Amino acid sequence: MSAATTRKQPFLNRERRRILYAFLAGIILFIIGELVRPGFASPSGIRAILVVASFVGIVAAGQTFVILIGGIDLSVPWVLNAGAILMVTSSLGHDARAIPALALTLGMGAAVGALNGAGVALLGIPAVVMTLAMNGIMQGLTLGLSGGMTCTSCGAYAPPVVQAAVHHSFLGLPIVLWIWIAIIIVVSFLLAMTRFGRMTYTVGNNARASHLAGIHVSGVTIVLYALSGFFSALAGIMLVGFGGQAALGMGDPYLFQSIAAVVIGGVYILGGRGHYLGSVAGAISLTVLVSVLLAFNMPDYGRSIVYGVVILALLLLYGREEENG
Amino acid sequence: MTIAAVEAVDIGKAYGGVAALTKASFTAQAGEVHALVGENGAGKSTLIKIMGGRVRPDSGEIRIGGQAVSLNGPQAAHHLGAWTVFQELTLLPWMTVAENLLLQQEPRSSLGLISRQATLRDADALLARYGVMHIDPRALVEDISLAERQTVEIVRAVSHAPKILFLDEPTSSLVEREVEWLFGQIRRLREQGCSIVFTSHRWAEIRSIADRITIFRGGADVGTFTDIDEDEAVRLMTGRRVEALYPPLTPRPAAAPVMLEARSLSGPNLRQVSFALHQGEVLGVGGLAGHGHRELFRTVFGDAHASGGTLTVQGKEKKFRSPRAAIASGIALVPEDRKTEGLLLRMSVRDNASLAILKRLTRFGILKPQEERRAAQHVVDSLRVRTAGIGLAVGALSGGNQQKVLLGRWLETECQILLLYDVTRGVDVATKHEIYELVASLARSGHAILFYSSDAEELAHLCHRVLVMREGVVAAELHAPGITAEDIVSAAVRDHRAA
Repeated sequence: MSAATTRKQPFLNRERRRILYAFLAGIILFIIGELVRPGFASPSGIRAILVVASFVGIVAAGQTFVILIGGIDLSVPWVLNAGAILMVTSSLGHDARAIPALALTLGMGAAVGALNGAGVALLGIPAVVMTLAMNGIMQGLTLGLSGGMTCTSCGAYAPPVVQAAVHHSFLGLPIVLWIWIAIIIVVSFLLAMTRFGRMTYTVGNNARASHLAGIHVSGVTIVLYALSGFFSALAGIMLVGFGGQAALGMGDPYLFQSIAAVVIGGVYILGGRGHYLGSVAGAISLTVLVSVLLAFNMPDYGRSIVYGVVILALLLLYGREEENG
Repeated sequence: MTIAAVEAVDIGKAYGGVAALTKASFTAQAGEVHALVGENGAGKSTLIKIMGGRVRPDSGEIRIGGQAVSLNGPQAAHHLGAWTVFQELTLLPWMTVAENLLLQQEPRSSLGLISRQATLRDADALLARYGVMHIDPRALVEDISLAERQTVEIVRAVSHAPKILFLDEPTSSLVEREVEWLFGQIRRLREQGCSIVFTSHRWAEIRSIADRITIFRGGADVGTFTDIDEDEAVRLMTGRRVEALYPPLTPRPAAAPVMLEARSLSGPNLRQVSFALHQGEVLGVGGLAGHGHRELFRTVFGDAHASGGTLTVQGKEKKFRSPRAAIASGIALVPEDRKTEGLLLRMSVRDNASLAILKRLTRFGILKPQEERRAAQHVVDSLRVRTAGIGLAVGALSGGNQQKVLLGRWLETECQILLLYDVTRGVDVATKHEIYELVASLARSGHAILFYSSDAEELAHLCHRVLVMREGVVAAELHAPGITAEDIVSAAVRDHRAA
């Protein structure tokens, strides 16, 4: 190949190609599902899967932010869980208290996330250690304050408006999917068009060089972790809206799934490159995969193994591409 | 005709579109000391890495004892009797000197376990055999000095009785006494019929030890000589005469105001440093590596904190807590290592060029893409950055063009004071020339420039004054006109020689 052709940037660069792959995988899985169990890919079937995917996708928004700067958020499960419980206990199922309860819950998520960010950026604690410790702290706080979910308010339901937001439809789509679409637009815009988004990518590419160019690296880091906490809490709210009540351990699946969605979507695990749209595709194809496996009547343990294999295979594939590209 | 001990034939190697070597050849006989000479970026280090089996060439052939060989790792080279001392040291820092010396040939006890005692004993004997008595084999490598590490590295290579020995800049971190020791070893190996190939920037050393010299320019050899004088060699290396490389020095205006003043600045590796930098002045900073230059630049830029002393910018005393604060006061830094400290290699030329002016390109938090493109294009046009476009990843550009993008980033800001740290390192000669012209024109237009360089020649030609640092202190201040590279070097090493 001549120098001129190798230097030109193809429209389908590596990142866009990966996003495309992730979406294609989702579509293929839908087709497989339809073949195994007719009705799997009916409009209502697709809608149901997308609703489940939206919970993963919302958590993955936060995870995308922190992975873009080479970090990770392992505190997702109990920040989400704490958010769900805080939502029901502070609202007690009354619509009148929904707004303050929402603000309190989202504020809690953002504050816990900001603490994660401060630990990473200011104290220099590795993200894995900081967020894992925070997960433990949140677990302890949640169990302690709720008396192991025995408190009188713990059994409260989510306010009807919140339940309606998840279950009701608007223009043929469940409102939760409209919320997700709004998040996709806002997050993608933030990353692509704003100074904050640009700083996210520069910090992810080279924090030292960004610092020496006058970028407020620790500030950016703290805000990104705060966003991750915010989205975890938001997912917790959505989930109590979906199920009506909070439960212990409801956040557990979202740690692995959110990271998996980000990786499947082609966000570079060491930071600096990738798009939220990729994570969205990852969340959808992962959720379809789970549903297909369920359609095959695969038991829980089998699904776990398939998950793990898929992630390893993708990382291996993307790693290869790295060397060749 | 005898068969050459080692031959490189038309070796080519490119790193991501940038050619390090195009058609590099040389031939060394048994019992010969052969010097590879060339400018930074001429490809010598790459060639040594290829000969040592650490890097695979894209094209060309390596012949050892007349046989074409394929070296798919340092081990393969070792089997053929070729040992290499690379420029980046390869010792394991958390192991002892003895363990490093006997790596992979550790003496075993009867149970097949490595014997610590025997390792120490053997290492002691080895060091004694090569006359290195001042290094403790029990010391951890990370605790010994750079020169000592280099010595251990050389002893390790020599101890294998190599048939061919490659040395990449072996003397760069050694002082005179150690250089003499090394040359003693080289002469001994030569008598035993070993073929020694080394690179060096120090002409006096090359003259005193090399039998033949091959000169490289731009990734290819331009000739092999047995006798050549320095002027001719420099002409061949650079393709131009020395004087033409540097622009004439414009005297700085007599009454120029002081832009930056340091008084008794102290900190790690920095003791009581004072200087005043005037508008329109290029103030050079020189001396041996590791004597406080880096700390000085970092402290002035707010990246390190002074433990004492004051810093005044345009008459106002400042205490910078971060580079951001320094930038806000009109200071810019082009750092030592453009790849790790300067550029975002995978991001585009545009993203790199606009990094320091993002705030100006933003309204309500949203970037203005058209203005950003315009600013980036301005950097490319005004500094003549050779790139296929502003969307190209900056890592795909040559070193010189990368450096231009980095300089351009700061020229888009309103900065008045430029801290340039070894900006011509690893840059081709043509770009060096452009950078010199740029520095001179920036000074003429009223910028104040603090200019560190590891190249004394460059300081001598480019600066109005040169501060020579030694052990964190300004050891000498030299004034143009009439500064020579020899003045700078001798001021930098004076005490070493006395000791």
